This record gives sequence, C-alpha cells and structure tokens, in this order.
Amino acid sequence: MPGPEERSSGFRILEHPADIGIEAWATTTAEAFGVAAHGLISIILDPTLIQRRTTRVVELHATDRDQLLVKWLEEILYLYDGEGFVVRSSDVTQLTTTTLTATLTGEPFDPDRHESRLDVKAVTYHQLLITEGGGISTVRIYLDI
Amino acid sequence: MKQVDQFRYLLPKSYKKGMNVEGLVYADSVLIKQIEQDQTRDQVANVATLPGLVGRSLAMPDAHQGYGFPIGGVAAADPDAGVVSAGGVGFDINCGVRLLATPFAEEDVRDRLEPLLNQLFRDIPCGTGRKGQVMLGASAIDEVLADGAHWAVKQGYGQKEDLARLEEFGKLPTADPDAVSDRAKARGRSQLGTLGSGNHFLEIQRVDEIFRPEVAERFGLKQGHLCVLIHSGSRGLGHQVCTDALHLMDDGMKKYGISVIDRQLACVPVKSDEGQRYLRGMAAAANFAFANRQMMTHWVREGFERVIGPGQINIVYDVCHNIAKTEDHEVDGKMRTVLVHRKGATRALPPRHPLLPKDLYDVGQPVLIPGSMGTSSYVLVGTDQAMKETFGSSCHGAGRAKSRSQAKRETAAGTVRKELKELGILVRCESKSGLTEEKPDAYKDVSRVVDVVSGAGIAHKVAKLLPRAVMKG
Repeated sequence: MPGPEERSSGFRILEHPADIGIEAWATTTAEAFGVAAHGLISIILDPTLIQRRTTRVVELHATDRDQLLVKWLEEILYLYDGEGFVVRSSDVTQLTTTTLTATLTGEPFDPDRHESRLDVKAVTYHQLLITEGGGISTVRIYLDI
Repeated sequence: MKQVDQFRYLLPKSYKKGMNVEGLVYADSVLIKQIEQDQTRDQVANVATLPGLVGRSLAMPDAHQGYGFPIGGVAAADPDAGVVSAGGVGFDINCGVRLLATPFAEEDVRDRLEPLLNQLFRDIPCGTGRKGQVMLGASAIDEVLADGAHWAVKQGYGQKEDLARLEEFGKLPTADPDAVSDRAKARGRSQLGTLGSGNHFLEIQRVDEIFRPEVAERFGLKQGHLCVLIHSGSRGLGHQVCTDALHLMDDGMKKYGISVIDRQLACVPVKSDEGQRYLRGMAAAANFAFANRQMMTHWVREGFERVIGPGQINIVYDVCHNIAKTEDHEVDGKMRTVLVHRKGATRALPPRHPLLPKDLYDVGQPVLIPGSMGTSSYVLVGTDQAMKETFGSSCHGAGRAKSRSQAKRETAAGTVRKELKELGILVRCESKSGLTEEKPDAYKDVSRVVDVVSGAGIAHKVAKLLPRAVMKG
C-alpha cells in the first residue's frame, strides 16, 4: 500500500498484539477524520456494499482535539451498533479543536446484504496521534476488538 | 525485571518513576520472553502508579498488551483512598466463560456432532450485527440490568438451580439501570442472547484428561463426556458503558486533581459520585452478560435435546474475566476490603470460602481457562495461595501471541479449516476473518500458561478438555 507521501489520502491497518489500529491521512485534518471513519467501517463490514440512500448530520463537542477524534469514531460505531445505520461516506464540514460537524451518507444495516467482518467494541486513546504539516494530515487511532 | 523464583518476576518500584507499589508477573522462562516483547511490562508499571493501590500490580502468565491496563492484569484499590478505573475492567464488561457438562459420551454421539453444531449455529446468533431472538423493550432491558441471570431464569431460560453455579450467583445486586445511558441500552436491546465476534466462541469439547478425579467428579466432569464452553460478554451495551465512563473519568480527573501516565488509565476516587455511578453501571452491564450467557445456555440445552436426545445438562460454573468488585482479601497478613479490578483474569476461590456454592464449599471454585480453538481448555480449582497473593485471582486463557494482521497474513481461512478438520474438529464461522485471526497458533500455549498457574500454586489443575466442534462470529 502506498505511504502518505505517495497518495493524497488513504488509510492503513496498524498491528497491535490483540486489536487493530488505523492510520489515516489526507490533505486536511477534517478529511483525515473522514478517512479514519471509512477505515473503521471497513473493519466492521465491506463498505463497497453500502448504498448512499440517506444522509445524517452530526455535531460533536469535546474538551480537546484527541477527544474529538475518539468521539467522532465512537459516533460512527454507535450509529452502526445502536441505530443500525452504516456509513458509506462522510464529509467533515467543520472542525475546530473542540467541535465537529459532519454529513454522513449511508443506509440502514442489512445483515443479509452487508458482508460483516468484525465487531468493533470501542475506540481508545492508546497511542492516539494527530499530526499536521507539509500539506498532509495524519491521524492514528486504535480500536478494541 | 527480577526473577523471584521459577514462576514469579518482580518489577521493583524503581522500574518507573511514580510507581506506588511493586509489579509482579507470573511466568516461566519462555512466557516471560513473550511478555517482554510488547508493552505488557510497562503497562503493569503504569497501573502501579495509580493512587491508593494495595498489594501489587499483577500480571497473569497469559498477560499481553492491552489499553492502559494489560490484559491479564489484576489490581486492588483501597475503597477509601483508592481509585476505580473503567480501563481496569475493560470495554467488554463481564466478558466471561461458562462451562456446561453433558451426560453424553463423545463416542456415543460422534456421528451427530455435525448436525448438533449446525443446530446451535442456527439458534445462537453470532458475528457482528446479528440480532438476537429477543428484542427488549425499555422496561425489559432495565429488568435484565437489575436482575441478570435471574431475569433470564424467570423468563424460562434455564432453571433456578443454574444460579448457584454462577459467579456472584448471576447477579450483582449493586446494579442500577439508571446508571446506564440510553445509548448503551440502544446497543444492547437487540443483542441479548448473541455470541459476538472476535475471540468469542462456543465450543463442544470432550473431557480428555482428569488430574484430580475427586474434584472433577464434584464439578460434574466425566472422562470422555461432552462439555460446552461459552465465551461471551455484555456485547455493545457493556462496551458503551465503558466508553461513557472513560469520558466521565477523563473529565473527572481534573476535578479530583488526578493525573495518569496513559489517558486510557483514566480513573476517579472509588468514593466519588463518578466512581460510584460507574460501578453501578458496570454492575448492570455485568448482569446483562450473565443473562446473555444464561440464554445461550438454554438454546444449547434445546439444541442437544433436539439433535442428541433428552439428558440433564448442568452448569459447571460461570466466571467473569473483566470486572471490578468489592471483596475481602488478606493484604500483608491482614484482612481488608478492597476493590479488585480484574482485566482478563479469573476469580479463583479456595475451599471453605463463604461465596462458594453450598455443594462446592469443601472443594473450591471451578476456574475455567479456555484455550485457542484447536487446542485444549482447562478446568482448575481455586487455592488458599491465590487468596494470599493474587486477591483470589488466576489466569483467564491462553493470551494472544500474534496480532490479527499477522495471523491473517500467515494463513488462509481454508487452510485453518483444513488443519482443524485433520484434528477432527468441526467448525462453523460467520466470517472468514474469525477463522484466520483466531487460528490456534495466534495464541500462546495454554498448557504452559496453566502449568505456571499451577506451579505457582494460585490454582490447581482438575481437567483438560479438547475441542470437537467450534462456532465463532
């Protein structure tokens, strides 16, 4: 898989003795948050089978940027596990240190059509990293499986 | 780390700045090398920096790197001066195992194992996103959270006698449904009676070897007979209770002037409003897990009856792996009440402990140690030694040795299936990744782990079980 310097946006899965991490990169941090959300969904099920049928707007508040990243991915996970809504794509329209607004596009989860992969239990602060500079933003986050 | 004896390694307070107590790792010369390969040792030391700990920060021989706390960690806090940490319990609150003993000898029913596995695979939903057979309304979910396995038995899932053989008798009375968020309830309402994915599984096993015949008999284990081991927890409900608590504790630390080395160790004083609220919510999530395993037990019994025939299937025991509980323990020669965090560790009560079921009072508590899917599992019994040095705790499994990505890279799902078939083990799996990521050699050698526990005297071996059929998410 090409590294951050070779492709303007993307994500890769990181190793952990028991669980899974995501490193996502893009030209802006807002976009990198969106790519990380896509990475999370890709761990749970096959994202190419999700249709763009409805949209939802989410607005989140946090005490700092790290917590905002954790809460953002927790929101994507909750929508799937608590409300049965799977996200095909997300557009983070506003991102400050403590607030995030995004539009999510996807559809209701259908266990017969969406090929499931793994249950993600939760999002963690373990080795969480957000870096910006040189025209590339990278976020790193680990998930409890 | 300083080797104390064949099975103990000490992490002195000088290992890391800020350690309030020593660390102690149970391992032999092979397992200690595996433990030293990841961040386990540092995480044992990080836990030792938490305020108000008593005794030592412990790691069992199956320990591996977790988030904040190591998996396989045990830490006890003073209820007045100490802290409670949601990370010290983990996301899967009351993830645990339950062992059922059947009256059927494997050799008599071998030809029906495949239809039996298919039946159980149909009746017990597994894998991510699969809904349970029951959809709980708002008042029903509160009843589950308050009453645990008792709720399930009242609904007809099992019998009253089952409750005696569950840790805490299947219900933590401190549970408060109001301390569980609506989000957590939303994640749980369709997931009661589901196995989950990841390392969760249901296995039909054969009692292969008995080490203590008189104890095995009292546990209801007979050579050559089939058992069923269920490994599952509190599903999305428990995960959300932990998630909510981590934020509450993250914010609460500022209020109480607590700072931690790793944000995932977020904690608040046991006595604080936040700490007490977490413990009430955690107890409710633990009850959800007890009810979850109780319902699956019922479907296992139904499946056996339908495919094999009538016969009494009894619960050997049900243990929690991820929990924090107020318990009485001997610390430096004196009895004290402490809050024990077990994250990937099993309570192991010795004979004559007041919390034992009456019929096992003179024997001790069954300690259930699942191995990986192609290898053996063990049943142990608690000892007095564990009460003296591990807050009555023992290991909880084999412990991962390889990351999921590494395991997946090494072997295709078809290969794992073929290797298991060659061992005579049937397998049904909802996802391909469930097979490759949980393949037998992704885990440490469970027999070695159990030998350390038994060598150190913190539990004794009773029986070894071999898998015959596995279902996974």
